[in-house]
Amino acid sequence: MTEQVAVLSTWQSEFKLRHPSMTYVEQAQEAAAGCMAKVSMCPDDIDAIVYSLAPTAFMGVADADRWAIDHIFGAGKPMLRVHTGGATGGSVVQAAHALVRSGMYRTVMIVGAERISETPDAQKVLNQIFDPFYEKDMPLQTITAVALMANTYMRRHGITQEDVARLVVRQRRNALLNPHAHLKGNITVDDVMASPMIAYPFKLFDICPRSSGGAAMIVGNMDAARQWQTRPAFITGVGAVSDSNWIGDRIVPSAEYDFIDWKLMRVAGRAAFERAGITDPIHQVQVAEVYDAFSIQGLTQLEQLGFCASGTGFLLEGEGAWEMDGGQVAVCPSGGTLCTNPIAVAGLVRAIEAANQVMGTAGGHQVKNVRRSLATAVGGIAQFLTCSVFSHEPYEAH
Amino acid sequence: MNCYVLGLALYPAVQRAAGHRLEEMVYHTAHAALDHAGIHRRELDHVTLGACDELDGRSISSMLLAMPAGAYLVDEIKVTDSAASALCLEVARLKSEEFDIGLVASWCKSSKTDVESVMRLRGEPFYTRPLGMNMTMSDAMLAQAVADQFGVSAAQADERVVKAYARASANPRGLAQAVPTLAEVTASPYEATPLRAMHRAPLSDGAVCMVVASQRWLDRHPQHRPLARIAGVGWAADSYRLDRSRLRDFNSARKAWAQALRMADLPDASSVDVMELETPTVYHEAAYEQVLGLGASTQISPSGGAFAQNPLFCTGLVGAAEAVLQVAGQAGAVQVPGVRRAAAHSCHGYAQQGNVFMIFEGAAHD
Amino acid sequence: MSKNLTPQSVITEEVTLRYDYALGEVAGTFMDGLKQRKILATRCSKSGMVYLPPRAFCERSFEKCDGWIEAGHEGVIEASTVVLRGFEGSRPPPIAVAFVRLDGVHSAIANYVEGLDLSDTERAMDRLAPGTRVRVQFVPEPQGRVTDFYFVLAQ
Repeated sequence: MTEQVAVLSTWQSEFKLRHPSMTYVEQAQEAAAGCMAKVSMCPDDIDAIVYSLAPTAFMGVADADRWAIDHIFGAGKPMLRVHTGGATGGSVVQAAHALVRSGMYRTVMIVGAERISETPDAQKVLNQIFDPFYEKDMPLQTITAVALMANTYMRRHGITQEDVARLVVRQRRNALLNPHAHLKGNITVDDVMASPMIAYPFKLFDICPRSSGGAAMIVGNMDAARQWQTRPAFITGVGAVSDSNWIGDRIVPSAEYDFIDWKLMRVAGRAAFERAGITDPIHQVQVAEVYDAFSIQGLTQLEQLGFCASGTGFLLEGEGAWEMDGGQVAVCPSGGTLCTNPIAVAGLVRAIEAANQVMGTAGGHQVKNVRRSLATAVGGIAQFLTCSVFSHEPYEAH
Repeated sequence: MNCYVLGLALYPAVQRAAGHRLEEMVYHTAHAALDHAGIHRRELDHVTLGACDELDGRSISSMLLAMPAGAYLVDEIKVTDSAASALCLEVARLKSEEFDIGLVASWCKSSKTDVESVMRLRGEPFYTRPLGMNMTMSDAMLAQAVADQFGVSAAQADERVVKAYARASANPRGLAQAVPTLAEVTASPYEATPLRAMHRAPLSDGAVCMVVASQRWLDRHPQHRPLARIAGVGWAADSYRLDRSRLRDFNSARKAWAQALRMADLPDASSVDVMELETPTVYHEAAYEQVLGLGASTQISPSGGAFAQNPLFCTGLVGAAEAVLQVAGQAGAVQVPGVRRAAAHSCHGYAQQGNVFMIFEGAAHD
Repeated sequence: MSKNLTPQSVITEEVTLRYDYALGEVAGTFMDGLKQRKILATRCSKSGMVYLPPRAFCERSFEKCDGWIEAGHEGVIEASTVVLRGFEGSRPPPIAVAFVRLDGVHSAIANYVEGLDLSDTERAMDRLAPGTRVRVQFVPEPQGRVTDFYFVLAQ
């Protein structure tokens, strides 16, 4: 006997470079308290906690979840901290999903915060994630590594930098309607092209910011939903997959899932879609909050999730297919990770945005008539992928 | 949905695994666990990891360690609380019925880094880290509290050390360290009062993997005989602060144990024949014995527990492996006769901030 | 809620963590090979895969790699980029990096590409396009680090 898993409440802070007047634990507290207060829950109503925290070198306290426990009203509760790099925020949702679906806990709070600006050089920290013998001597930090992949993808499919820039323009414009988003504005393709080149083809505007802030989500079973949320979003499908760490294995002809085209997302997507009963994504899913730390990443994921063919995502961008208003599917109406990347909770924010859209609580960037949405998260160098589906209707076995 | 342990493996206990990179330790252990379970890696539909970046020496250590743990093209997730916590999440994943057969993997090469530096990094920067709070200091404060709260004299603590090493020396899977004399224990220097060096279980390197399957999977694969059923799990974490009540009430231990008993539908500790405790110090052992109400019918740590091997992050899951071997009748020289149920415990964080309990039943008794 | 402390109140701390990374079964052999100007790849006879960087086990078969193969000193670029903004701890920009699949090996290994005029980025990227053949060159005194060799354009 398994339980329904419903999103009862979500909460996000305003994301920006710094929150100098708050400590890390105060940020986590704000998220926990805000999320409970929204639906009039109190700490005793929360049965278990899943904590969202990725590399701690950014905010400088190892296992900061242990420090935060009192602040999130969690002392004495079952708590687990999940860490899958950038995918952490997606993985925590799936861990909480398991805790409720299994019947082990009635309600679970997912919470976390990020303070990237506490250390001046986030990239040096990210350079620690590479193999110390083979890759550390290279400038193989995340930006360079994804740039390598992007060049091949763009050549392969005849996509220009301007094609990609159109996505940046759309998402920054979407973010204007999102009070939580970090970067936002009415920019043009020329603005993107004029921004400084970092690692070809990525210019500054192709790359996510370093964002600080907090976020929380409360999930519960059907009983809990009846008690606290008349219009929940049900988590009807979850899927995740991990690939080899070796980039050099994934970009060659012998690769099982070609990294250039992001084929691995197919695996996570298929698992989530099978569970959620999605056979025709473009007609069944109205919002896709894809995790796009780099401009190239969102639509490549969409292609592998079956919304369009490989290599066509950016061409369809040019035709307005992904617009919030009048598009075929609203891609990142929130602005996406490209506009807001608080690493520890970035994937959670995608899930929150996807859930909000189904619950009708997305505010200024609410898309009309959302019956289903999806959220993805990406960890390592596109090594850990998660995909979760949210629906206005409860899960049904297929 | 019932969950079963199908197979397991321990990296051979070693003070310092100099010859192997961490990835190689993990790979060998994962492969051995799969072999023990009689399944191939390709049959796994998920992997649940337990590890700590700071102890592993890399940010996002699972980037390099997920594959050796069998996660290639598999649904994989990692927790950082403790290895035993990974087993708890694993149980939830199986009971969610989204998965059927998984590998739980954990590792720790404590010799690789200055552990106390990592522990100090866990101190919040305003009130705690400036004092150099670390494992030694926090365990010493716990020892002081336990001595007072549970009436544990220094002499009793010293005796526990000798007995723990004696149990450990019989364990073929342990480090086989020399059993000290009482005089040696009493004479060992204070590290932080009242903790003497020999009150503390020395750290070692290790890895532990378990293959875990759902009832549904077992029904489809009747040729597989499980080692044990996972009857119940429970976990909880206490306040971060180290005040009087935090060090004496053992609140998270009580809650976690109650949760595990509830899930296993058991009344109390008298229902388990063995309890493998994670005891960073013998004061932990003294406290848990009373907190959990362990009586004469429950053997405490027949494997020697942390004094047999103590790969820090995964010690609790090593204890779980020992507990599984007990109910499966495969514990060898340290086998307790007639074990029907064995429990294992893990603690983590400053002064046992977090506690985890796992209860295993012999599979034959379902 | 008002606070008396200024928004810039901070506590500063520098943290150094030392790690001793064991070379293990495989990396040591690779590094020794570099000192002899050889690039050694590992092979798994079960899956037939040949890997660079070398590794102790094959992810596909989940068996130990059971052979060493000397990789060719020519290969093809699979992916490349020119890095224009520097990062602390890395070489000053501009730098060209590429993943190259050396002859006889299935997977690609990354290293710097030298000898290229990087002042015109677009032109440099054309010359570094996937499919381009490159050659390995060694530094005069190999130290047993992956930077003992680098790539140059083959033609």
